Amino acid sequence: MSHHKLEVKDLHYSYPDGHKAVKGMSFCIHHGESVGIIGANGAGKSTLLMLLMGVLFPDQGEVCVGDVHVTKKTLPMIRQSLGMVFQDPDDQLFMNTVYDDVAFGPRNYKLDEKEVEKRVFNALELVGILHLKDRAPFKLSGGEKRAAAIASVLSMQPDILIMDEPTAALDPKSRRKVMQLLTSFKHTKVITSHDLDMIFEMCDRTIVIKNGEIAADGVTSEILVNAELMDDCGLEIPLSLQNCPVCGTEKV
Amino acid sequence: MANIMNSLYNMRLLDDLARQETVIHKLHPLMKLLTTVSYLTVVVSFGRYEIGGLLPLLLYPVIVFTLAELPVKPILLRILLVSPFIIGIGILNPFFDHQVYLLGGREISRGWITFLSILLKSGLTVTAALLLIATTGMDRLAGALRMLKIPRIFVLQLLLTYRYISVLMEEVARTLRAYSLRAPRQKGVHRSAWGSLAGQLILRTFDRAQRIYEAMCLRGFTGEYHTGGFKEIRVWDLSYFIGWVFFFAVARMYNIPMLIGSLITGVIR
Repeated sequence: MSHHKLEVKDLHYSYPDGHKAVKGMSFCIHHGESVGIIGANGAGKSTLLMLLMGVLFPDQGEVCVGDVHVTKKTLPMIRQSLGMVFQDPDDQLFMNTVYDDVAFGPRNYKLDEKEVEKRVFNALELVGILHLKDRAPFKLSGGEKRAAAIASVLSMQPDILIMDEPTAALDPKSRRKVMQLLTSFKHTKVITSHDLDMIFEMCDRTIVIKNGEIAADGVTSEILVNAELMDDCGLEIPLSLQNCPVCGTEKV
Repeated sequence: MANIMNSLYNMRLLDDLARQETVIHKLHPLMKLLTTVSYLTVVVSFGRYEIGGLLPLLLYPVIVFTLAELPVKPILLRILLVSPFIIGIGILNPFFDHQVYLLGGREISRGWITFLSILLKSGLTVTAALLLIATTGMDRLAGALRMLKIPRIFVLQLLLTYRYISVLMEEVARTLRAYSLRAPRQKGVHRSAWGSLAGQLILRTFDRAQRIYEAMCLRGFTGEYHTGGFKEIRVWDLSYFIGWVFFFAVARMYNIPMLIGSLITGVIR
C-alpha cells in the first residue's frame, strides 16, 4: 500500500515577508501510522500541514504522497488521498446543510448522486450525527461541528487523515468522543495539537518541531516524557504524566 | 450587536423554510424559476397607471404562500426592508405629475397613482423573489440557473456572496462584541475607532474567506459549484409552469377586475 506513504524531503518554506517557517524538515510516515506533530505556537506546524496539502508549495525540497510528488498538476489526485480537518470547523462547513457539506467533496469529484448519498450517509453514521444531516452547520454545537467537519473529509474516502487541533475548544466529553472516533479509524493519521494528553493516547509516533526544524522524531512514550526536550521546545510533559498536584506523587 | 446575530439567524430563515416538503417545495426548481421570471416580466410590463390590471397577479403569491405553508410575517418583514428604497424612488412622483385623475368621483393627482403602482409592483416582485428562495433554496436555485446555461462564474458569484454575507456578519458581531466589552458607556462605536475597526474587519474577513476557499479547494473545488443532481421534470412540474404562464398571459391581456366589474354590473342591470 505504498500510496498511503507520506514522505517529506528537505522541506524549506519562507513567507513572502521573509519569515522562514520551515527549515529543512524530512520525515516519512508509513501506512497505518498515527503520528502526532507538536510544537510551541509559531513553531511551523500549520505551515507544514499547508505544505503537505499543497495549499503552499515549498521553496526547496518536496512532499510525496505514495510515489507522487505534490505539484499543481497532481493536486486533484493528492487531495483525494489526503483529507484535512481544519482547526476551526466553521472554516470547513460552508454549505446550507450538514448533508450538502459532507456531499461537497464527492460531488466535486463528479460521483453519481446515488454514490454521493451512500458516502454521505456512511460518513455521517460513522461520526454518529446522521440525525443532524438536515441541520444548518452554524446551528450545531462545537462537538457536532467537529464531527461534521470530520465527516466532510471522510466522505471523500481519503487514505491519510490530517488533522489540525482536532480537540481544540471542545468540552471534556466531546473531546473524549472525538478521540474515540479518531482511534476507531484505520487510516494513516497525522495530528497536530497542543493537547499532549491526546497525542500521548492516540499517536504511536511524535514529531516535535522547534523554530521550523524537527527537534525530535520518535516513539511518543519516550518523547513526551522527556521533560528537558519538552521544556526546550516550549512544551510540557502531558498533564496525565505530571506529578499529582494534590499529594505530589511522582508519575514519571 | 445582538441585533446582528439575530439578523444572521433570520437571514438563514429562508434556507430553513426551503427545506420543507410541501407541494410547492417538491416542484422542479427550474419550473419554479421560470414561473417566477415570467411573473416578474408580466408585473413590470404593466404601464405606470394600470393598477387595476395588476391586482389579479396578487393571486400568485397568495396561492404560493398557502400551498407552501410559509409564515407570512417574516417574509412581509423582509419586503418592508426594501420599502424605504422604493418609497425613495416614488415619493417625488406626486409632486411632479400633477395631472388630475378621477377615481370614484374624487380627483387625485396621477403622481399618486404612479407612486402606488411602483409600490405595488415592487411589493409583488420582491415577494415573488423571496417566495422562490423560500421554496427552493439558494443551492437548488443555483443548479436551476446552471441548467439555463447561465455562466458558472455568475452563479458562483451569487452563491459565494450569499455564503460570505454570514461570514462577514459573524466577524462584525465578534469585533463589535470585543469593542463594546471595553467601551461599556458608549452607544455604538466612537468615530475615532471607525477606521481601524473597518480595516480590521476587512482584513479578518479576507483571512477567513481565504481559509474557507482553501477548505473548498482541499475537497476538490475547481470553480464549479455542484449542488447535486435534479430529478427529471415531471408532467406536474410542467403543468404548474404552463398553468401559471397561461394565467399571467390572460391577466396581462385582459383587465380581469374590469371584466368582473362589468359582468356584475351587467347582471345587476
